[in-house]
This record gives sequence, structure tokens and C-alpha cells, in this order.
Amino acid sequence: MASTQDIQSAIRARAGKLLQKEVISCFIGWEAGRFEGQSSPLVVRSAADAQKLIYNDYCVQLLAKYLLTENCSEGKVGVAVRGCESRGINLALKDGQLQRENLHLVGIACQGVKDFSTKEELKKCQECTHRNPIIYDDLIGSEVTDGPRVEDTFAEVIELEALSHDERYEYWSAVFTRCIRCKACRDVCPGCTCNECFTDQAAMGWQGKQSSLAENANYGITRMFHSGERCIECGECERVCPARLPLMQINRKVLKDAYDIFGEYVVGIDDCTPNPLDTYLLEDVEEFM
Amino acid sequence: MSVDSTVQDPKQDTATAEDAKWKPKILAFTCNWCTYAGADLAGLNRMKYPADVRLLRVPCSGRVNPQFVLHAFLKGCDGVLVCGCHPGDCHYATGNYFTRRRMLLYRRFLEYFGIEPERFMVKWISGSEAGKFRDTVIEASEAVNKLGPNYKYREEGR
Amino acid sequence: MSRIGVFICHCGTNIAGTVNVSEVAEAAKSLPHVVHVEENKYACSDPGQNAIKQAIEEHNLDRIVIGSCSPRMHEETFRKMLSETSVNPYMLEIANIREQCSWVHKEKEVGTEKSIDLVRMSAAKVDRNVPLYSGEIPITKRALVIGGGIAGIQAALDIADAGFPVTLVEKEPSIGGKMVMLDKTFPTMDCSACICAPKMNEAGAHPNIEIMNLSEVEDATGYIGNFSVTIRQKAKYIDYDKCNGCGLCEQKCPSKVVSEFERGLAQRRAVYKPFPQAVPSKPIIDAANCRKINEDRCGVCHKLCGADAINYEDKDELITQEYGAVIIATGYELIDWTKLYGEYGAGAYPDVIDGLTFERLINASGPTEGKIVRPSDGKEPKSCVMIKCVGSRDPHKGKAYCSRACCMYGAKHAHQFLEKIEDGECYVFYMDVRAAGKGYDEFYMNTLEDGAVYVRGRISHIYPEGSQYVCVGEDTLSKKLVTVSADMVVLDTAMVAQESADTIGRLFGVTRNLDGWLTEAHPKLRPVETNTAGVYLAGAAQGPKDIPDSVAQASAAAAKVIGMFCKDSLESNPMICTVNEINCRGCGDCVDVCPYGAISTQSVDRRENSVWVTRTLAFINAGLCQGCGACTASCKASALDLLGFTNEQILQEVDALCL
Repeated sequence: MASTQDIQSAIRARAGKLLQKEVISCFIGWEAGRFEGQSSPLVVRSAADAQKLIYNDYCVQLLAKYLLTENCSEGKVGVAVRGCESRGINLALKDGQLQRENLHLVGIACQGVKDFSTKEELKKCQECTHRNPIIYDDLIGSEVTDGPRVEDTFAEVIELEALSHDERYEYWSAVFTRCIRCKACRDVCPGCTCNECFTDQAAMGWQGKQSSLAENANYGITRMFHSGERCIECGECERVCPARLPLMQINRKVLKDAYDIFGEYVVGIDDCTPNPLDTYLLEDVEEFM
Repeated sequence: MSVDSTVQDPKQDTATAEDAKWKPKILAFTCNWCTYAGADLAGLNRMKYPADVRLLRVPCSGRVNPQFVLHAFLKGCDGVLVCGCHPGDCHYATGNYFTRRRMLLYRRFLEYFGIEPERFMVKWISGSEAGKFRDTVIEASEAVNKLGPNYKYREEGR
Repeated sequence: MSRIGVFICHCGTNIAGTVNVSEVAEAAKSLPHVVHVEENKYACSDPGQNAIKQAIEEHNLDRIVIGSCSPRMHEETFRKMLSETSVNPYMLEIANIREQCSWVHKEKEVGTEKSIDLVRMSAAKVDRNVPLYSGEIPITKRALVIGGGIAGIQAALDIADAGFPVTLVEKEPSIGGKMVMLDKTFPTMDCSACICAPKMNEAGAHPNIEIMNLSEVEDATGYIGNFSVTIRQKAKYIDYDKCNGCGLCEQKCPSKVVSEFERGLAQRRAVYKPFPQAVPSKPIIDAANCRKINEDRCGVCHKLCGADAINYEDKDELITQEYGAVIIATGYELIDWTKLYGEYGAGAYPDVIDGLTFERLINASGPTEGKIVRPSDGKEPKSCVMIKCVGSRDPHKGKAYCSRACCMYGAKHAHQFLEKIEDGECYVFYMDVRAAGKGYDEFYMNTLEDGAVYVRGRISHIYPEGSQYVCVGEDTLSKKLVTVSADMVVLDTAMVAQESADTIGRLFGVTRNLDGWLTEAHPKLRPVETNTAGVYLAGAAQGPKDIPDSVAQASAAAAKVIGMFCKDSLESNPMICTVNEINCRGCGDCVDVCPYGAISTQSVDRRENSVWVTRTLAFINAGLCQGCGACTASCKASALDLLGFTNEQILQEVDALCL
């Protein structure tokens, strides 16, 4: 198992070499933040700048999103990919948002990232089922053992499902009341690639502008419907939420139901499996119809 | 699971007086080719059923975006019905297969957020099943009457 | 600002009897953008329509709501009415206050209240209506018929007789399908070949019919009136322009193989016509068994051919042609019972044969010239067991459905066996006898009189004993075990869909049911149409059928095609999907959802923020889209919308209800 220090040197070396040989026009990785234990995504455009790249236990940001939002100029883009990044990239490939031939993926077998203040592994990483990158062009070091099985990640959802309707309403209305609709969860989500989100399409009438439980729930439940079945479980929404809402409990509900009803299903495992709601089988279950 | 803040429905206490004259408001999305035709047939046969359900005509149950269902609940509907052709009979061949998946999941989602699943029904009613249409309306009306008004996530002032 | 007119129809007393029409009209006056409201005794009548037209002129209305009967009843009437005014026909919404209010609610207040709600919803929706215009779709007046069985032949002849060109595609070397293999047809006992062959010849000689034998449909694109179909013409190794069909090559060819047409009862050559009456009446070379092609030896046919028609270098050819309509008549196949019924020997007993093989045995032009003999030893069988429903009505091993024709051809076989074999014994094991058809039950009764012994029950197993076969089963009427020793056993096996129907169905967007039969648009009212406009079904491709039904359906499908070809152009449905190109992110989720293949993704270069970028966008083919709207619900970006039922319109309706 390679140490983070080894990985950092390897990223710098490979990014530098790729840029020097002009295989890629830029490389996306992380740089050190202002304070200790902070990091932020960095787009490197010259071999010399590759030395600014870092890798440590606190590189929490998901780079897949930056592939979609950064204007990376012409040519091929290099990017460091862990399990979650690779799933995000597969999702974007499926959605036609990226072209595989324009990417050079430097794989990192991820050992989980930590919260700097507590030095504990983030919850999203404890629950991570795919630590090794699923697709890559070259891999740094060797693969690591994967985390829990997919079925094991549904515990919180099962716990909530056991409550009564009114208890659940109480729980979720408390959650949605705290939502400030800053939409950071959407902005950071690698699955959210719409040019204009439903919530901003004021003329269409999907969403009003009031600050109310109804509109917050409207936003939360519709976001669940839009991105839940395409959630790669990177947990970024939960990480960036200023209100600390348990957003993964919402996404995991969709994943669990899709898994239970339509069969084994892991988002981003490849770039061709259709969304469960955009396909059907003649013999699909009918529960209450 | 802990609840951090105590959220009380603003309507819960004041609603009692209103409840007395409350009548259920149920919206039914019906596909043009089967269920809407079935409802027409029920009319033609002069069948009697409760007046709690309002039909909204769509070409196919596949047209029904689950967001419409949520919208209806937020705006003050006490129940929502989505009706289409039986699987295999869809006028557009496959529309209701997608409806089946979407609605199957969406009902679970709404239930997860605390909305009683009885408030959201999905039924296949063909153009010849006027009786089934009547029974579905009666069933929906009875279910919602039993549950009472829906205040969950409802927009204030509605 | 829209100017809405609301018209509430009394429908005599139909509505006014149980709904307070004046109260509904009064309530409508206060609805947003409603500038005029009036009541109407019979809105659909001429005076009623004139009153609405007059109100439109007088009050300068730009859209209307009519509270009346079901839109399924009179939407078209009122659209037509609007087309005679300045208002676009699609600026109309109908509130169904008859079928949904006055006819189903006894109490007047209840019906009135609900009517007001429905009118309010319609008014809210119509407020967001936009004018829609239907376009014109040109028609290529040429039809494609896929499958050259009796259904395909009949359909092609009907269309060709009406004066339109037809291409008849057949995957075998000759048209004729299954019917030409049969000996006689029930219940009239006409000679099958005698009634089928003239039709085949007529099709072969018809100036409007082009027969493409040994061909298969490879690809199809387009939509009603404008299909572009690619057909693979497989190498025939014979130049049909030169060949005069003398048949010398066939006589002299040294390579002998088992004849498919004779169901393995005889042999054919490598250069062959499957049967003497084949159409086209010219041979083909079976490349797999030709010595010249495989080993570069022989070449006898080339040497003998006076017309120099043999071409060993022939290659498959892809031909793309435009068609306005397509009829799929791919027919059926018999279920492969040898894989399913081990208890009947799984094909190991030579004298246990299926019905079609029996047809060749009793056929005067068959390998035995109509003499019934056992395939194993060539002796005449004295006793015969017929087993019905082999593979049919047997969901565990075969198919759950009834194959419809077997009861009758089973009776026919029994009749023929008893007629041809003196002192013959014939036992028919059946589940039920289904003889619903003109003259069918009479025919069955005659067979009983001929002496056929009908036993109600299935044969549980067959085993050989000496030269005979012992059939063991239960007579379920007497509840006794029955054992019959017979010289021959005929299995009336199930009809199953052709494998190629699956490919063809997929190419043209026609669904198959779980058993693989192509699905009609409506089982009762649109039995020959499919859900793809311009594609029709004929014969057993749609489900098991006998000859009269197949021919009837073929003519029905042809009538649909002729009806369409008689028009100069088609009117397109304007209530179809549109793409908001700004919002579309090109994910392609909608492409998978569309049942008609109407959506494709295309790369588009465009300027965004003064930079040229390449975007992938969904593109709707207006000719293919039928306006179901399934794609709109799959589009998270709401970039897809259905004209006439837009997201905005539906949300407005919901809001209006919840006021």
C-alpha cells in the first residue's frame, strides 16, 4: 500500500511528464489550502506547476465535478481519480458530458480521507464501497481492499423506514425546515449537469420562491427524484451543506429501493447502464396498481 | 433518529373547525386513451360515484412527471391518483411501463418523507372498465376521507 | 394578456338537468383573463357553433373554454369550428362537465361545484396554450411487404391491384410460405397448392410487384410516408436476368442435400428450386453445399447452362429504397418440440412426426406422391395417434396460448388418414376441440363419423415396442389409463413467432409480446395497425391464425395502405415534443424512453457567450413523434416539453384546482 507521500510524488511526476510531452493540456489535482489540513482543487497547465500538486489525507474535494465545470481549454485533460471520481466520470460519460478520448485518468487507490479537526475518516469514506478507481489509464501503486458491501450502506435508511409515517414526517420536516436552499448540494454534485436547474426555471412553475417548509421539501424531494438514481455516493452534498442536513439518507433511499426492486445496481460502475427509471422490463413488479 | 428542532404543523390546532366542512380534494391524472375513456363510459352508464376526484387529462400516463404529484400535495391536494392503460395495452406501446417504475419508486419516496401511501394511488383502468373507474374513485375517496386533510408539507395558506 | 371566452353547454337537459349552468357561468366570469362567458343550449349544433363564432368576433377572443361533454366526443368538432375563425384550433380546452359531473352526481350542488372546478382548471390551462400548426408529410407511394407467405402475397396483390408499386421481400428462395407446403385446406378440402399457386404466379407476374427472394430487411429508418429500408439481397449465384428457368442445372447437379421444403423426407440438389411451382421460377445455388464454390471442383451447372446465367462470384447486395408504408407478414414457425418433449422421444423415433411433415406425406406432389408411409421403413401405417396441443396451452413446457389452427388440421389429418388407409385406425388425443369457424364444427363432426376416435387427455409418454409406438395417456372423461399402440404418431405442434420478427419489430418500433408475436395498436379496434404509424401487420406475425383469417387481415392491412396512398400528403400531429435547446444538456436519457425512436442526439456548434462550443442536443423527428410525452418526465432539465400538454399547462391546472 503506497503512502500518501508516495502518491503525491507520483502524481507530480506523472502530471509533469504528461504536460511536458503535451499528452494533456492541463491536469486537475489538489493544491494546499491557506491553512494546515486544507486543500482545494487545482488546474495545472505547465510541467513546472505540477510541483504545486499535493496529495494527503485531507484532499476531500471530488475532482470529477471540476472536469465538468472548469474550462480546461483544448485537448486532453489529465485528472487524478479515486473510486468516487471514477464513478462520477463514468456517470458523466454516460450522460454525454465528457468524452473518454479527451481524458487521461491517473488512478489512485484511495485509503479514505479524513476530517482535519477530528482526524477521523469521513463518514462518506467509511461507507465507500468502491475505493479503487473503476476506470483509469495508469494506476499509482496497487489496489486496496474495498470497504463495505453495497447492501451494508443502507442501515440508516432501514432505521428510518422502521418509523411511523408521522415520526418520519416529524424527522424530515425538521430537516427541511433547516434547509436554506443555498443549492450548494446541487452545485457540488457531479451528477447535476443541467444548464438550468428545475428550481431556477421560474417561468415553468416547478418551484416557488417562498422560504417555507413546502418549498424546501419541494426542492429536496425533487432533487432526490432527479439525482438519487444517479447518485455515486461521493457524499459531497452532505460535506458542503452549511445546515449539515443528512442528504445521503435521501439519496441512499433511492439507491436502496432501486437495488431492492430492480436488481443489483451501482451507479457509475460503467458508462452504459441506463438509469433504472429510463428503462423497464415487461415483468417488472406491480405492487399497488 | 433524533429530531433537532420541534416543528409543529401550524395548521394542526386551528384546523379542527375547518375540518368539519372539509371535503377531500383528490387529483387524478388520467391517460386519454384508457382511463379517461373509462371515465366517459362510467358517465355514459350513469354510474354514481363521489365527487371528490377531479380528472386531469394527459395523453399517456408516461407523461405524468412525478413532480406533478408532489406539486399537487404541496398545493393542497389530499390525494393523488395516476391512472393509465394496463401494461401491454398502452396506446403508445411502452409509456405505462415507465410510469410503473416511476410511480412505484415515487410512492416509496413520499412514504419515506411521511406522506401516507394511501393518499397516492396508481391504477390501471382500461377504456372498458367503467366499473373499475368508479370503484377506484370510491376507494380513493374513502381512503382520503379516513385519513383526513393532508397538511404535511402543505404550502401555508392553502 | 389573453382574452378567454367560456361557453357552458346545457346539452339540453343532459347537463342543465343536474348542474346549475348559470352558477357555473357566473363563477367563470371571475376567473383570470376571462372576458366573456355565455351559456349555450347545444354547443355542438350549428346554431351553437355559430353563437361561439359570433362571440369570438364580437369580443375579440383569442382562446376559448367549452364546458360540455367529453373532449373525446367533440374536441375535433370544436377544433374544426375554430379553424373557420381567426382563432387557432389548438387554443381550445374542454371541461368535461357532462360525463364527469352531470351524469354521475345526483345532487345539483355537488355537480355544480365540481363543474366550476373543472372549468377553472381548463381556463387556467388554456391561458398557457399557444397556437399550433400541423405540417404536411409527403408520401412515397410504394409499399414494402415483409414475408411472402399467403398473407404477404395477398397484401401485395391488393396494393398492386390498386395501382401502387410493392416490394415483396421473402427470406426463402420462393414465396408461398407455409400454405404451399400443405396438402388440402380445411374445411372445404381444396387443394392448397391449387389455390395458393395461382396467387403466387399472379404476384410473380404483376407489373407492380417486385419480388425479392432470398432477401432480408437489414435496416429501417424514417417514419410514416417516408421509410428508408435497406434490404440484403443474398447471393443467389444465378443471374435472374439471363436464367430462363429450364431446370437443366438442377437435374445435373451432383451434390444432394436434405430438402427443407420436404421436411427432411426427400433430397434436393445444391442448385435448386425448393418445389416445382416456386415463384420466382428460377433456381438458386445453396453455397454451403456447392462443390464449385467450396472446393473449386465440379462446375457442371456452369458448363451446361445455355443462358450463361451461373455466376459463382455473386455477392450479397444491400439495396436501400424509400417506402411510404410497411406491412409485416413474417408468419410463424412450428415450435421445436424435440427440445421440449423428451416423453415423446425428443425426435429419436422416426415415425413420430409433426403436422407439417404429415402434410408433405399426404401431399400428391410430395415425396411419396401422397401415399402415407412410415418414414422409418416406408410401410403403410395401419394405425395412427394424433396428439393435439403439443407446446400449446402448456405454459410449463411450451406456450400458454392456443395455436388456433391445430384442432382443425388435426381433424383434417384424421379424416385424410382414414380416407386413404383402408381399415385404418386413428386416435386423436385432445384437451378440448375448438372448432369455431364457418363450417368448422361440421367438419369435425364428419371426422367423428369417419371413425376417428377422440380421447380427451394428453399422452404422458411414448415408447417404441417392436415396430410400433406405445402411447400412454389418461382418458380424462372415463378417468382410465389408456394405452394405444400405433404405427405412426403425429404431433400437432404449437405455432411460434418467427425469430426474425423480433429483429424486424425492433427496426420498425413494433413491440412484441412475451411470446414474440408482434403487437397490434389495439386488439379490437385497430387490429392491423401497429403503434408505429405507417407500419401494419398481416397474418400469423401478429398471433396464431388459420388461412382465412390471415388472408382477411392481409386485405385489411392493404386497405389501410391504399387509403393512405390515395392522399396527396399526410397531416402531421402538432401536439408533439419540442426541445428547449438552451436547457438540453444532451444526456440522451430521453432517447431510451421514446417508443418510436423519434429522438436522437446530434452535435451542434453554436456560440455561447461569444465562444463557439460544440453541444450535444436532443433532436425530435416530427414525423416519428406521436406525442405520448414519456420523454418529458425523463428529462430532468425540463428541456423536453409536450406541446398541448406542457409542464406549465399541467402545473397551472394543478394550481387552479388547489385554489
